[in-house]
Amino acid sequence: MKRVITLTVNGLSCEVAVEPRRTLAELLRYDLGLTGTKIGCSIGDCGACTVLIDGVPSLSCLVLAMEVEGRDILTIEGLADGLKLHPLQEAFVEVGAIQCGFCTPGMVLTALALLEDNPEPTEAEIRRALSGNLCRCTGYQKIVEAVKEGSRKIQLEKKS
Amino acid sequence: MILPRFDYYAPTGLDEALSWLAEHHGSGVKILGGGTDLLVDVRGKIIPDQHRPRCQEHRDGPWLARYAPTESIEILLALSRITELRGIAVEVNCVRIGAMTTITDLERSPVVRTRLAGLWDGARQLGSPLVRNRGTYGGNLCNARPAADTAIPTLALGGRLVLASIRGERTVDHSDFVTGPGETILEPDEILKEVVFDLANDPAMGSAYLKLSNRKALEIAVVSAAAMVTFNSPPAEQGGIKGGVTKSARIALGAVAPTPLLVPEAGEALVGKELDSQSISEAARIAAGVARPITDHRGGDEYRRMMVEVLVRRVLMSCWERALAGTVEEAA
Ligand SMILES: Cc1cc2nc3c(=O)[nH]c(=O)nc-3n(C[C@H](O)[C@H](O)[C@H](O)COP(=O)(O)OP(=O)(O)OC[C@H]3O[C@@H](n4cnc5c(N)ncnc54)[C@H](O)[C@@H]3O)c2cc1C
Ligand code: FES
Ligand code: FES
Repeated sequence: MKRVITLTVNGLSCEVAVEPRRTLAELLRYDLGLTGTKIGCSIGDCGACTVLIDGVPSLSCLVLAMEVEGRDILTIEGLADGLKLHPLQEAFVEVGAIQCGFCTPGMVLTALALLEDNPEPTEAEIRRALSGNLCRCTGYQKIVEAVKEGSRKIQLEKKS
Repeated sequence: MILPRFDYYAPTGLDEALSWLAEHHGSGVKILGGGTDLLVDVRGKIIPDQHRPRCQEHRDGPWLARYAPTESIEILLALSRITELRGIAVEVNCVRIGAMTTITDLERSPVVRTRLAGLWDGARQLGSPLVRNRGTYGGNLCNARPAADTAIPTLALGGRLVLASIRGERTVDHSDFVTGPGETILEPDEILKEVVFDLANDPAMGSAYLKLSNRKALEIAVVSAAAMVTFNSPPAEQGGIKGGVTKSARIALGAVAPTPLLVPEAGEALVGKELDSQSISEAARIAAGVARPITDHRGGDEYRRMMVEVLVRRVLMSCWERALAGTVEEAA
């Protein structure tokens, strides 16, 4: 039987009726139409479904919608400011860290949470933080560079 | 592929959860921690042909084999809203870790890093950061896999599990908790509440956990080993590894038996001796002799047994180094 839950998604409060078996990934994609969150494996292996729950990078395929009642969710759609991309997104574009793009939403969100915690991570710290987000295209090098570039951009923006 | 249908109940207090469980336990009721094991197991599996030849149990069968879920659920009792189950409390003589404490919480806890370093090693090596953010300590222990990355150090560190039900609480050693792969002594109306570690006032102690796997992240151990060593007097550096008489030692192995395996013989062999290369090699040989690994797609039994010897040697060195330094660097 469906139940009504309330949660905040990208700053907007919403009420959705969902079945207990609904995962957060399904809620976002099928009930809210936020298809930026990808479902690759559904079993926690790939990280394509990563979203931030109260700022913590989480596998939305392994979290039931019921479990995020009252919580604050950030998906990739919530990052840009209108048409202006977030500096970290810009960095991914400029550095060439996106090929097919399937892993990108998860990569960006995981990296964003890392930079919140640790604004100037070392390469080893970046690789460790991203180790649950798989990419079949880029070979990771460009992604690591994009996170470094993103870190620089965010610092610059803070200063100005 | 959507999940099979089930119902969901999320109480906010432990007492509420226990009374509910006392009334409803039985077939189809499952406890939900972080869900990183359970929500994987409720899905069916599809194993394409290319994976089958390495995987003995699936060698025959159709080209694209489908497997029914290993768990079937009617209702989930979710523990995520019970705040009293999450957190690490340091008391005078012990540390208490709530079952719903996440693996990331363990990894970030200063007391786990300094006083329960082996558990810190295990937390850092479990799955990936995303799995650790959600997966819980209690879930890793109750799932009871022989290679569970926090279970092996918990066993070596002498962790005691507090099991709660409406009938009261009982405390059991981790060594008595797991009875087989995926099986524990938990009664159907019981919940794992917390794990307690005594903080002994020894002059020096060290603990460590090492996992052998093919990749740095997202890998189940081929074999793993944990140890805790306490010393009668602080160990001293005297040309390589020498100095420090062992007061007690506990050695535990992962992925070499149907359950996490404590090897008391190996630990006892060190008691009263200098922890030097000779005594370490001896203990490692004993541990390798007791291990009963199987052959599967992760490794052969003979290889695993050889690696047990290597890993035990290395964790013991690590214990010694940590006891000497009084600080904790990543075990290697
Ligand atoms: C991609 C991926 C990689 C992984 N890699 C590793 C790895 O490298 N090493 C490793 O050890 N594990 C690994 N795991 C397994 C899993 O993440 C851990 O075992 C985790 O700690 C389980 O915790 P949980 O809270 O998610 O458990 P859940 O899935 O919620 O529960 C697991 C089991 O324990 C029971 N349970 C949970 N909490 C309690 C409680 N308090 N009282 C009684 N019963 C309870 C549940 O009913 C269930 O049977 C991995 C999982 C995934 C998806
Ligand atoms: S879809 Fe969630 S980890 Fe792959
Ligand atoms: S860009 Fe294709 S998976 Fe990463």
